[in-house]
Amino acid sequence: MRLWISLLLLGVTAALIVAGLGQPGVLWGQNRESRDAVDAAGAGAPQAAIASLLRNVQRHDWDGAYAQVAGSSNVDQASFIRDLSGTHGALRTFSGLTGWDLNPLRATDSDAEVRATMHWATPVGALDDARDLKVVREGNAWKVVWPQPHFPDPPPQVIPLTFMRWDLVTGGSGDEWGNRNVDGPRVRIVSMNAVSYEGGSVVIGEAINEDSIPAFVNVNATLVGPDGQVLGNESSFDKVLHVLLPKQVTPYRIDFPEVELAKIKSVQMDVKTSLIGAAADPVIEVSNQAIGDDGAGAKALQGQLLNQSGQVVNIPHIIATFYDDGGRVIWVADGYIDRALLPQSPEPFRVRVPERIANNARNYRVVVNQYSLGGS
Amino acid sequence: MTQSGPSYRSVSLQSILLITLAIHGPLLLMQLPANSYDANVHMFFASHYSHHWFDPWNEKWFAGFSQTTYPPLTHQWIAMFSHVVSLETAYMLVQLLAVVLLPVGVYRFSKIWVEERTASYAALGSVFVGSLAFLVYQAGQLATVTSTALFLNALPYFYEWLVQGRLRSFCKGLAVSLAAASAHHVTLIFGAVLFAIPVVWRACIEVEEHFPEVSRGQVLRRAAGFGVLAGGGIALVLLPYWLAILQHPIRQMPIPHDSRTNYLLNLTTGMNYFVVPYGALILALPFLVPAAARIRSLRPLLFGFWLTFLLSLGGTTPLPRWLLGRAYEVLTFERFTLWACMMAMPLVALLAVTLLDRFQNLAATGLSLAAIGSLALALAWLNWNPYRPPSALDVKPVVDFLNRDGHDGYRYLTLGFGNSLGRVGAYSNAGSVDGDYNSARLLPEMTEFGSAQLTNSKFYGSAGMQSLRAMLKHANRYGLKFIFVHDSYYEPLLTFTGWQRIETYGNGQISTWTKNDVPPAHKIASDAVPPPWQGLWWGILPIGSSFLAILLLVLLPQRDPADEELPVLATRREHYAAEGSR
Repeated sequence: MRLWISLLLLGVTAALIVAGLGQPGVLWGQNRESRDAVDAAGAGAPQAAIASLLRNVQRHDWDGAYAQVAGSSNVDQASFIRDLSGTHGALRTFSGLTGWDLNPLRATDSDAEVRATMHWATPVGALDDARDLKVVREGNAWKVVWPQPHFPDPPPQVIPLTFMRWDLVTGGSGDEWGNRNVDGPRVRIVSMNAVSYEGGSVVIGEAINEDSIPAFVNVNATLVGPDGQVLGNESSFDKVLHVLLPKQVTPYRIDFPEVELAKIKSVQMDVKTSLIGAAADPVIEVSNQAIGDDGAGAKALQGQLLNQSGQVVNIPHIIATFYDDGGRVIWVADGYIDRALLPQSPEPFRVRVPERIANNARNYRVVVNQYSLGGS
Repeated sequence: MTQSGPSYRSVSLQSILLITLAIHGPLLLMQLPANSYDANVHMFFASHYSHHWFDPWNEKWFAGFSQTTYPPLTHQWIAMFSHVVSLETAYMLVQLLAVVLLPVGVYRFSKIWVEERTASYAALGSVFVGSLAFLVYQAGQLATVTSTALFLNALPYFYEWLVQGRLRSFCKGLAVSLAAASAHHVTLIFGAVLFAIPVVWRACIEVEEHFPEVSRGQVLRRAAGFGVLAGGGIALVLLPYWLAILQHPIRQMPIPHDSRTNYLLNLTTGMNYFVVPYGALILALPFLVPAAARIRSLRPLLFGFWLTFLLSLGGTTPLPRWLLGRAYEVLTFERFTLWACMMAMPLVALLAVTLLDRFQNLAATGLSLAAIGSLALALAWLNWNPYRPPSALDVKPVVDFLNRDGHDGYRYLTLGFGNSLGRVGAYSNAGSVDGDYNSARLLPEMTEFGSAQLTNSKFYGSAGMQSLRAMLKHANRYGLKFIFVHDSYYEPLLTFTGWQRIETYGNGQISTWTKNDVPPAHKIASDAVPPPWQGLWWGILPIGSSFLAILLLVLLPQRDPADEELPVLATRREHYAAEGSR
């Protein structure tokens, strides 16, 4: 009896532990790397090699990740790490890899190409980074060919600055920012358009600072139904330039994913402004803009940013406005760039656009919002 | 080995209590648990009761939530003490009471299974158990420890009632059980299955062997009667809790917790939830099972321990998920480790007795070192744990800011404050949209994303940041005007979404951010506000159950010293020897 009970408890415990190891997601993480596909292809399959590399990146095991890189890559470990973990306080330096999708593009016995879409958790939300990676067979193992990353290396130089700057003199400690009885700068909504998007509604348009001083701006919209009831009240959140210099125009976009356009009778716009100290620096030039294919079958506005100032812009944020033939705003899209803008160094950008907008847009305008470490 | 060495007798309960005080008293007076994960939450709840004893609606977290969603006993005791000493000291006093009650409970619980001497060793061992130190000093699970201690003390009365049908035992067992439920309902719900069923089984064996005049049917009827009355009593005492949970069942997205992962695949998690809490008990496990299996009367305890042990492994086996269903995603599993350890103590003590009888001083030295090593490892783990809570943050400037110039007319949020969130809540007059008690959350910005506190958003990856974005989008709706940041990770999001830094404290450690267009906070309408009668109920019955238990223990003492022990216990030692030799 005693032996029987001991063996029973031991056996059941062992069986449960083994069953625990076999549970979905336990050994393979939560990624959609298609465990079946990887199993079927064997542990040495191209996708398994990329998955292994990314798992190590996720754990910050850089030695383990670099061990999956093919010798023919010509990338040293330091550059490989900088490429994936970011530099100069860029968005990537704050990010963590949460998952990935792997889609095979082609495969032979000796090499393969796989599109790896990495999902990153960042301070501003989830960001995806898609890369087409080549995988080659080296001996019995598959290794990932990691392209040599290019890091801007601006030459030492002194850049004279002539930008405008406005300082704000505040009161005592009890009179904190934005709470004093001073009229805010004059900011006016110059256009507003409500459009339907994915079953909900989006309010888009532009606002201008008509004053001679900078303004801190928040744009809110209230949707009103046919019988006067409020259907929703939302703010432009991060889809607006909150700091507007004199005469500067900002696009705005306010999403109401739960409210159908057909149910809206009117939209009440509300612009709240207050005084703020601001500077025209850094100046970021936008060039080579064009709508094209983003490589994954979707449309995107692509172009290049150039930081003309002398300071690093750690996190750039693109807000693009799209106009139709009549100059009416038909869409506002935005996107964050996970690489820092170094002075005088061009950096590409890409903002996805719905196909319908891409077909109808006749003009577009890009403004760049920015976050720099140590400022706010 | 000869028997010529010193003979080891039982250790008196007074000595055990003094040892408990000597070990845990200084640690608690040093306020070691003050920075544990949950201590500030308990102090926050207690702070509310100290000001609003009969009003469980608390506006300070989640834009308003009901404290009837958590049993109040420990918080109300802290609140009472806090009128005499500080809130922190009051917490430590209540925790010390629970820690002292635990070896008493283990001693009395062990006497159901083993004789006096072995029970005393079990009680002594329980003082050093790693899981106790883990729950008290790292997790800050005051309510679980208190409830476990109370429930262990209730079980012997329950057993006496089953075997002997004593009404006074029934009354005392019932009262202490109600107090245990008032401290922590989950402990009692699982305790009823994991602890009480083995006790009923044990009682059946006992009457069969020593009380032929009592039938098994009688034992089962007594158990059912006790169960019905205890269930009814708990339903009554915690009525506002059940009403709240029925009105708003926990349907939020599951929040990940390390205790639900596979301990074999993550070294740190395995250390944290298995090696540290079990400590030297791990070495005893291979011997416990065969030793307990050979004695019929110990088999109920063995099966109870085994099931609890499997549950304590969290996500290492699929059993908890199979048994608990949806509750698996809500529960954390470190509490099962404490229960498994407490159930193991009588069995471990049997092993200790065998070793002491055979190896005397050598065994005493080894066992002492194992016990001390277990406790030392758990305490050292407070520093070694890579995921330990950050050192306590000085939140006074934040509290001072919120309490001046009408700033408490708005709501606030902290980011990167970790477990210091509770301290800001306890001492400031303003309300927050965040909070550190997941089960009470009703705001959709928090329940729909599978993350916990907003202050820890980044640790929940994209889900956490989505939840934070959703809350920031609705800042105007909630009157959320101030954000205190203790982690620069969050600054880009605040910058891009229209917030501006206005002050910094502590050499820049904490910065205050504000948004210019936020209107003053107004009450958020909620159907979860308890009616006034529930406030009265909540303020009287749970704390009343503890007073009733104390009263009954005083008014209905054991009739004479000989009654301290059930008559059958005197024969138990010989009984084990006889069974063991079969």
